[in-house]
Amino acid sequence: MTEENTTKENMAEKNEDKLIAAARKLSTDISPGRDLWPGIAEAIAKPAPRRSWARLDGRTSMFAQAAAIVLLIGASSSLTYVIVKGQQQAPITVPSTAMIFEQTSFANRYSLGPGFEDAHSALANDLKIELARLSPEVRANVETNLKLIHGAIFEMNNALEQEPDNILLQKQLLRAYREELAFLRRVSGLTRNIMMRNDI
Amino acid sequence: MSLDTEKRHLAALLTAESSDYSRYMATPVTESLTDEAAWIKRAQCSDSSAFEALYRLHIDKVYGLCLRMTGNVAEAEDCAQEAFIQAWNQLSKFRGDSAFSTWLHRIAVNSVLGRMRKAIRERERILAVAENTLEPVATGDDDDLRDLSEAVGRLPEGARHVFVLNAVYGYSHDEAAEMLGIAAGTSKAQLHRARRLLAQQLKQQGFEA
Repeated sequence: MTEENTTKENMAEKNEDKLIAAARKLSTDISPGRDLWPGIAEAIAKPAPRRSWARLDGRTSMFAQAAAIVLLIGASSSLTYVIVKGQQQAPITVPSTAMIFEQTSFANRYSLGPGFEDAHSALANDLKIELARLSPEVRANVETNLKLIHGAIFEMNNALEQEPDNILLQKQLLRAYREELAFLRRVSGLTRNIMMRNDI
Repeated sequence: MSLDTEKRHLAALLTAESSDYSRYMATPVTESLTDEAAWIKRAQCSDSSAFEALYRLHIDKVYGLCLRMTGNVAEAEDCAQEAFIQAWNQLSKFRGDSAFSTWLHRIAVNSVLGRMRKAIRERERILAVAENTLEPVATGDDDDLRDLSEAVGRLPEGARHVFVLNAVYGYSHDEAAEMLGIAAGTSKAQLHRARRLLAQQLKQQGFEA
């Protein structure tokens, strides 16, 4: 590097330092041309925006609906279970349904696997007969819950028609089917227990 | 205390419905801090008049920062407004670990960066805005600094942001880097770039610092 170059660089640095010193003198307080407060006041007068599923687009709202329905089903069928259990002292075994759903697939055509279909139709056939053995109050409760579950399944199937690859909806639908199956088993187990006790 | 600052403090006090502002005017710094702390507490309890007092106290610096960073009056107004709305929504998170002004400036920088990210998606709109904003914006700088101020406005975005935060507003590289979401090394490199570009621009204009 030549002496001339070094001198040039030093001068450039000196100038840049002067520039920084000058920059420190630039105004940091600048008044806006108009009062911005009215706009701010208006915005903060409204409640703070919360993340609301319902306020998002229709798809997400459908998600929320599906999730809420499934939760409701869970709570409702558990309640039925508790009521029914209170009437019957015999233990009820609810077998795992995990295996049944191994062959489940979604997309354009929903298939819940042959295991589910068999179990579902067998339990549905028995249900009508077994329901007759329950008290009117419990029967009404069971029917209400079943309507709720079927409504949820219907809604989720509709949603899945629009979005066949939506994983969350698929999971929710699967969960609703599981709830339905478990619920049918509870009712079925309950009536079988009644029959067993009656037989004795 | 400058007339502008005095007026701002007075406006803030009047907004906060305090009657004893003469006392405040006599010893502005300590009283200002005490009042600011009180206003923050009140604003945290959803007192919008206290928040207005905070707005009156800080708006010029926040708007100045937004204007220097965006180089556009309309964008700066929107950013400043958005910053205060965000600040109101996040007030409960302010714990006093840093000065309120620093906290507010951080929000303002985020607001500017957020709008600029959005603006990339609205390129045409921004190009239209840019065409309309070739005229220098009023920053209230002394005549001898006007060239420098305009040259800062013409810097590329990254270099301009670092230069404004570091050289104009006096934030350290670490602070500027944190605000901008970049590494401190990048901040230093951008400042170096900004200095070189400014020196070139101003040399052409015969600027004497």
